[in-house]
Amino acid sequence: MKKRILLVDDEKEFADTLSERLRTRDFDVTTAYSGDEALEKLKEYNYDVTILDVQMPGLNGIDALREIKKLKPLTEVLMLTGHGTVETAIEGMKIGAYDFLMKPCEMDVLLSKINNAYERKYKHEERIRKAFTEKLSTSPMSVFK
Amino acid sequence: MNKCAEKEVAFFGKITAGITHEINNVLAIIKESSGLLEDILAITEEDAFPHKDRFKKILNRISGQIQRGNDITTNLNRFAHSPDYSPASVDLNEVAEQMVLLASRFARLKNVILKAGHHDESVIIKTHPVALQMALFESIEIILDLITSRGKIILFPRKTDNQYVVGVHFEDTTPDDIVIMQSISSCDRWESLEKTMVYLGGTAETDDSALEILLYLPNSIDK
Repeated sequence: MKKRILLVDDEKEFADTLSERLRTRDFDVTTAYSGDEALEKLKEYNYDVTILDVQMPGLNGIDALREIKKLKPLTEVLMLTGHGTVETAIEGMKIGAYDFLMKPCEMDVLLSKINNAYERKYKHEERIRKAFTEKLSTSPMSVFK
Repeated sequence: MNKCAEKEVAFFGKITAGITHEINNVLAIIKESSGLLEDILAITEEDAFPHKDRFKKILNRISGQIQRGNDITTNLNRFAHSPDYSPASVDLNEVAEQMVLLASRFARLKNVILKAGHHDESVIIKTHPVALQMALFESIEIILDLITSRGKIILFPRKTDNQYVVGVHFEDTTPDDIVIMQSISSCDRWESLEKTMVYLGGTAETDDSALEILLYLPNSIDK
């Protein structure tokens, strides 16, 4: 199954071009041009990794991150930062972002961070599945509660 | 610096920092666009595109210039944020390196090489970052006015006997080094440099034998 990426950046041409590059590398990529649009898309679909610009008009990166984590706690978030916004990205990591990237970023660095974020999400989901299976085997009726 | 001048510097810094973000976004779009062209070239058969190598070469050139542009905007952004906190703790090694990048064009126009000599340990002082950069730049300009083409200027931050110093050393290609040194403290810009150093709580001196302008700085300035 392809890894599902949500790319959020108000710079439309940047988001479109980067998403096209990721698609050529076999990712399933959706773009959103604002924090609000990202939240709408997250309600409709499960993404493995969200790449989120820190500085956007309207709902900024940190507020968007908080909402994403409320909505889809397992979705991993990579913060995209520019000059002078590294502190914001660090704040983002304190509230649940997986990592951050400086813009413009090298493709191999981006791919490595996406893959690492995906791995973490996959392992997290595996642990949840395992816990659920154990619960089911010890107490089958608990699933009907 | 009076309140109005402080506000002016802060305003200038804020606008410049904002513009560096915009330029950075432009560079990011160019980078991804040229990257996409590289991706397309990589999956195109050799025979299907006879000019593939020429395109690759040009794309490499674009990539190099994006990196250059990114380095410039990174430094300009850092410079623009200098007035954010004043006084502030700074590492003289980092300030010297940044000044080399910011002033390199002025040196290049005179065919002069500008470098930063790195002190082994961090040399941290609490000072006014903008005024410190001004003092370094004024020292560089004084030497650039006097030095001949193809000379060299090296910034040496150091800490000796509880004294914090940035040495602005020069090497010229002519045997008139001493004459240049002697004319430094009598040139018009020297007075301005001395005033800047007074604001920083320090002094500017020359060392004729070491061919250096020495900027002595206190380890901490309170206001």
